[in-house]
Amino acid sequence: MRLNRRGFFKVVGAAGVAVAGTGQNAGAWHSKAPKDPYGCLVDLTRCIGCRKCEEACNRVNRLPPPELPFDDPTVLDTRRRPTDKAYTVVNRYYTGKLDERSKLVPTFVKIQCMHCQDPACVSACIVGALTKKENGAVHYDVGKCIGCRYCMVACPFEIPAYEYYDPITPRVMKCTFCYERISKQGGLPGCAEICPVEALTFGKRSTLLEVARKRIKQDPARYLDHIYGEKELGGTSWMYISGEPFESVGFRPLPAEPIPRLTETIQHSLFSYLWSPALLFALLGGLMWSTHKKQNTSEKGGES
Amino acid sequence: MMKTLDRARTKRVAALVLLAFALVARTAAPAPAAAKAEKLSPPQGWVAPDRQRAIERAHENVPFVSQVKDECFVCRQQRLRNEGYGIDDITDACFLLDSPIIKKRSDQYMPVRFMHSKHAAALNDCTVCHHLRPADPQGKETSRCVACHRQAFDPRHPDRVGLKAAYHLRCIGCHEQMHKGPVDCLGCHDKNVPDHNRLVELPDHPKPSQVTVECLRCHKRQGREMLKTAHWLWRGNSAYTMGRRKEVQSGKGTNAVNNF
Repeated sequence: MRLNRRGFFKVVGAAGVAVAGTGQNAGAWHSKAPKDPYGCLVDLTRCIGCRKCEEACNRVNRLPPPELPFDDPTVLDTRRRPTDKAYTVVNRYYTGKLDERSKLVPTFVKIQCMHCQDPACVSACIVGALTKKENGAVHYDVGKCIGCRYCMVACPFEIPAYEYYDPITPRVMKCTFCYERISKQGGLPGCAEICPVEALTFGKRSTLLEVARKRIKQDPARYLDHIYGEKELGGTSWMYISGEPFESVGFRPLPAEPIPRLTETIQHSLFSYLWSPALLFALLGGLMWSTHKKQNTSEKGGES
Repeated sequence: MMKTLDRARTKRVAALVLLAFALVARTAAPAPAAAKAEKLSPPQGWVAPDRQRAIERAHENVPFVSQVKDECFVCRQQRLRNEGYGIDDITDACFLLDSPIIKKRSDQYMPVRFMHSKHAAALNDCTVCHHLRPADPQGKETSRCVACHRQAFDPRHPDRVGLKAAYHLRCIGCHEQMHKGPVDCLGCHDKNVPDHNRLVELPDHPKPSQVTVECLRCHKRQGREMLKTAHWLWRGNSAYTMGRRKEVQSGKGTNAVNNF
């Protein structure tokens, strides 16, 4: 059978369309979120900025002592991000809200890993060092980590930190949701346990959503009708309710679409059944064959 | 008129003489006064009866209220007023907020001594704190906090805050709103300082330098901070020290002997 150029592209094109069709079916994205995870509800109207959560986190996770003590209020003057030595930090925001004496009212915001339902970091991790556990925690396994730091690039909340100072055994450091503690019956994360005003409420995510909705309904003047983390990026285990617009207290507006949906769909539709490399090599092979043939005929022509 | 003035003067003089006598007696005989003070100080382990009562009360077992009456706040306020609840109904003037429910989870500070009567007198409205009543008609109109608020994050009552948070939210919230009363930790709590008799390890007759070393074993940061204080670095004259106003060169920064 002779395969001319037109015939070749017909065959390859048909095969490509067929493979792409099946690939899309196979690669339809499914959320891998746990069904009934734990979560934490942060009520920004309650937080008094005492930083006991930071202190408890430091103690529970055996992190090194901080430069300035936990009861030093000047720490709040700078805006911080979680680091390799502090999994959680409290920031202070002045949104312009005044009390009846015309004094600015601060809003304190505790930030830590949000423990997304469909985490981008887990999707980005090429060795499976990061996993989303059944109880809601995004768990880091230092034994598998190769230190590529893709998770740090992937995280939309810019949470994972890295031990850059350690040349031999650096780790990615981020909030563990006190995985070991909450795995036990009645166990609580260190921060939620110590919070004096229950600005952090620990429980099943579904229950917390109900609690949050009830609080907003009972006191609509106090809260905005928005639970940050209910829908953002397909939902997160840590959720926030606030009296101030979330954009004004350091939360970026995020779509309801989980990040891995797009990236994994691209990835899976491109690479299912290895059709795209197969196609590439087929094209290259075809190219080589045709050019080689031309060369052969021209050489033959030259001889005769 | 003169008579009354005279009487007043004599009274005043008498008072002055008495005061002088008292002062002389105090300076002349300090030993008996000390002995008396020792006699007056309470024996070891003695606790004031009202404090004892407060401690017992804090550890009492209070029946749990699972259902509360669905009633609007203003209705409740009006009803309590009509029924005449007030300061006279208070049984204990002072509480110790020292429930084992809180202790179970965290023990960072000493318990707060809450002046119940004082707050009640200042507010004259029980409903500010006793905001709900049990659904059971037999239940007490002003139940204790611990009757409803127990362990935090109870899955059976997810919208109820725990006891510790109930105290803090109510106290701090009200103090902030009224611009009265403390809103920081140490305004209400004493520090829970661990027993240093157990922590400090020193020989029987330690040298001053040994004591400093022992303190610095735990309080390293305070040691560093101390080295930056005027107390340590002082080189000028002592403007406020009698007899040393002009003399300069003495102090920790220069020629002090105990410069450890």
